This record gives sequence, structure tokens and C-alpha cells, in this order.
Amino acid sequence: MKKVTLLVLSLCVFSCSKTDEINGYQATPLEVVIPENFPQIQYNLDNNPVTQEGFELGKLLFYEGKLSSNDAISCAFCHEQAFAFTHHGHTLSHGVNGGVGFRNAQPIQNMAYQMEFMWDGAASHLDFQPIIPITSELEMGEILSNVINKLKNDAGYQYQFGRAFENGEINSENMLKALSQFMNMMVSSNSKYDKYVRGEDNVQLSNIELDGLANFETNCASCHATDLFTDHTYRNNGLSVNPMLDDKGRYNLFENPDDLYKFRVPSLRNIEVTYPYMHDGRFSTLEAVLEFYNSGGTDNGNVDPSLLRENGTYGITLSNYEKESIIAFLNTLTDHEFLQDDRFSEF
Amino acid sequence: MKITKIAFAIMLCISMISCASDDDASGEDLTGQTGELILKFDNGVGDQDFIFGTTYSKSNNESYKLDNLKYIISNVQLTDDPGNVFTYPTADNVFIVDEANGNNAGEIYVVLENVTAADYVSVSFGVGIDQDRFALGADGQGDFLEYAQDQGMFWSWASGYKFIRFDGTFSSDTMTDEPLNLHMGSVGTSLDNYRAVNLTLPNTVRVREASQPEIHIVADISQAFDGETSVNFMDGYDQVHTDANETPIIANNVMGMFEVHHIHNN
Repeated sequence: MKKVTLLVLSLCVFSCSKTDEINGYQATPLEVVIPENFPQIQYNLDNNPVTQEGFELGKLLFYEGKLSSNDAISCAFCHEQAFAFTHHGHTLSHGVNGGVGFRNAQPIQNMAYQMEFMWDGAASHLDFQPIIPITSELEMGEILSNVINKLKNDAGYQYQFGRAFENGEINSENMLKALSQFMNMMVSSNSKYDKYVRGEDNVQLSNIELDGLANFETNCASCHATDLFTDHTYRNNGLSVNPMLDDKGRYNLFENPDDLYKFRVPSLRNIEVTYPYMHDGRFSTLEAVLEFYNSGGTDNGNVDPSLLRENGTYGITLSNYEKESIIAFLNTLTDHEFLQDDRFSEF
Repeated sequence: MKITKIAFAIMLCISMISCASDDDASGEDLTGQTGELILKFDNGVGDQDFIFGTTYSKSNNESYKLDNLKYIISNVQLTDDPGNVFTYPTADNVFIVDEANGNNAGEIYVVLENVTAADYVSVSFGVGIDQDRFALGADGQGDFLEYAQDQGMFWSWASGYKFIRFDGTFSSDTMTDEPLNLHMGSVGTSLDNYRAVNLTLPNTVRVREASQPEIHIVADISQAFDGETSVNFMDGYDQVHTDANETPIIANNVMGMFEVHHIHNN
């Protein structure tokens, strides 16, 4: 038995070192930022430790048009850094062959701290999330095996996969792991608000920003909870149903009537630059969003009970100053360091 | 990755230490010996062999014919008489059983290599992907993700595997040749439809270096509709995808499809 143990172990050690030499595998560890004011990290980094080489490969893939059927639509097409990786100004995502998706592109930031992804939670692991836009006919319109074949035929990627992964293989596991490594590094935690709550650099909020913070905590923070500004739930906030899209939200996943018109409570980080707002991008300004809550939503039969007002309507009553101050506060969530961080830029 | 490999090697060693019965009843020394074992899946409908495009009747005067029949098998384990468990290496322990890949007799071979030599008395496997494997994300999946997608066993609109896939048409008293699509799976962590199947073998299967034994497993696919719970296409079971009420019923039914028909020790 001892012989077998030794044999198996030595085989493993032998094969590892051999791969290293052939492919130039390197594992330069990178640290994922864990801000002290954030809730617990969700991604299991032990299964996919971030390395400089994996991160660089992930970045190449993020900006790579070959992930789509016409070789032109990269992830970054709908996720632009300057707008916290959203699709600037577009209500809905655009894709290959002029396709238009059903929903507004969400920001890519602090992914390691979320357990589910997409507006309806259709992805429950970050590694699997990219499969949805890659294979959507309206977005990137491709299939994984085609993407892998295209990458295999690219000498640059042969080199990059060899550096980033011990087995050096170009396959869906390694491609998705590299994308996750890139996204796990995309932590936005250095807004004015962050520095204020962490007591860094003597940063203070102005009076109206402080009033806004107080008004936010009274009116908004039960759903937009913690310093991620989401409680990770799905809720129906009473938006009228757009008959052109007839998007039933999370109901589409489980066909559970309780889920009708429910969408994820979005994080509000960098909200100033991620317009337009809501799952279908129907509001182009924060003023319009807050006025929607103030004037009240549509009772579509399943509106979140927390929005029920004494007069029987669904909404959040806000004075003009409350709205103004909340927006002033929300603007303190803009993280300029993140939006201009060269590590995440294409060039 | 290195840590994973070493951990795996250690696990393998532990499992070898624990599994390998150094001496069997005849005094044969099996130490360090491994062999091949074939799980032969044979889909049927009751006492008939399953054939694409053939109409089969079910309860409630309904009938169906299929042109696509696949399911995912994972976590194959074998147990010998003293109770030692052999687990096929996790990363490779997932298979798609596709009727279209069958031989002329409609048998689909799942070939297990490097199985610890022993006399096994039971086999177990899961239908689908368990939550532990799903929680690993891409880790350890190798090229299975793109393979599953090519096989139509991965949803593109939600990140999850289809555990079973029956596509065809059904007829009832009032409908003729309406679309039938059973795509049952788990949806993330919210809905777990993975089911484990344990089958006792009618006689022991002898895994040796020089032999190629087979476990012939018959899957009675009619059990998917008329198993533990009978379901009717007309009641909405003609289109089963992620419904939180329908899919667990199908999953429980599918768990009862499998039976070991016989063993070939050759």
C-alpha cells in the first residue's frame, strides 16, 4: 500500500512540475480587497485563488469579442468602466445582429460579495453567470464550445492559459475561472461615503449629505441594506408592467406566483453613473426614481408589503428636501478611483 | 490547483487503503490492482425496449413518443461485501447518458476506469448534479460545461444543468401530437432536484485487472410519468422546466426508474 501512495504522490508532483516548465505556469497571488465596512465575502476564493496571471487572462477575455458569435460583442460592450461597467445610456442591452435584450445591464462591482446574479437571480454562482449573456441569442449569441475552439486557435490565448492555469488547458472551467478572477478584483469601496464611515483621510459629509443619509436610512435602507446597499432579496416595487416586454421577473425562473414582477434589490454603489434605472431602464434620472416612489406605484397584485402606505397606495412619501438630500447622499457613493482604475481598463 | 491535486492524491490513497480488500475469500491478493467496469444503461418502457419515435401509452389514456432522451449520472460509488466504498474520482464522476449514443441494442456504455479491484455488491449514483458540485462553480468541471451545453443539458437563461431531458410529443383524449418537453433540473441553490439511487446487485461484480465486467442497468422511463406519483400531460406535465411543485415530483419518479437487470462477470 505504501508503494501505491508514493507512486500516486510522485506521479502528481512529477506532472505538476512538468506542466510548469512547458507552459510557463506562474501563480503570483493577488489579494481580493475585503473592506472593513462590507458584509462577508461570498465567493469561495479557495476554489479559484486570484493570481496576477489569471486576472490578466480574465481581463483579456472580458474585452474579447470572440466570446460572441460575430466576434465583435465583448462583455465590455454592455459593461463600460466609466459607468461602473453598465451600458451607458441604454435602457436595454444590445447584442449581436442588432438584437436587443430584455433588461438593463447591471454594474459589475463587488461581485465576490453577492451570492446570486442577474435581475432575477438566474445565476447562483459567479462562475456560471457569463454563460447567460454569452449564450443569449439577443446578446452574444454564441455557445461555449465555439468560444473555446476560437480561443484554442489563438496563440496568444495558448500562452495566457498556460501562464494562468497549472494544467494550461483552454476549456470552459479555466475560461470561467479567469473571468471570475477578474471580476473578483473589481471591488468598489473607496467612495466619499466609504472614507467617511471608515474614518479615513478626515473625510466629512456635508450637511445635506448627512441629512440625505438620515433620510435614506429611514426610507430606503430596509431593502438597500448594509454598505452593499442591497439585502439580496427580490421584490416587486410596483412598476407598471411594460406590455412590450411583459417581463415577469423572478417568476420566469420557478413559475411561482409569489415571484411575479419581482426583481433583485440593486446595490446603489456608483448609482450616479449607472443610469438609466430599474430593470428595464425606464427612469433616466434619480429624480424620476424618487418621484416614482413618492407618487406611488401600480398595484399589480404582488407589490412588496413594505411599500404599503396608510392610504392604501404603494410608495414612499418623500418631501422635496428629502428627495434632494437623498440624491446628494447617493452621489457620495460614486467611487472615482474604481471608475478610473487602470487595472480594469481595456487600454 | 497543486493543493487540490495533492489533496486528491491523498484522498485517493485513503480510499485505496480503505477499499482494497487485500485478500478475498479465495486468498487472492488484490492489493494495488485496478480494473475497468462498465455501467450499461438500457432504457425501456415497462417490458418494452425504448425506441425513438415509437408511441407508448401511459395512465389516463395519454400516450407519448420521444425523439430525445438524455440524463446526467454522477457520483458513482461501489460498495463491496465488507462495506468498503469505492468512489470514482470526483472530477470525472459525471456522465451524460444519451439514448442517441446507444449501440444497436440501445445500450449506452459508461466506462469506469481504474476501479479498485474488489467484489462489489451494490452500486449507487445520483441523477443530476448535487449541490456540493454546483457550489464549486467552474472548479473541477474541466470541459464538462461546454460538453453539457453542446448536449443541450445546460440552460442558457439560468445557470443550471438539466438533469433529464425527454423531448417529443404527447396525445390525449382531446389533443394529438402536442409538444412534450421534460427538462428537469435544479435551479441554483433554491431548488434541489438531485436524487441519489442505490441499487443492490443480484450477484457480486468482480472487478479485476484482466476482466471487463458489466452492470446492466435497465431504466424504465415510464416511471418518470407513472412512478411514485402518476402525472398527466394534460395537467401541465407536458412542459416541465423549473416549476417548484412539478420538478420534485418528476425527480422522485425518475429516482425509481433504475434497476440492475443482471451482471456480466467477464
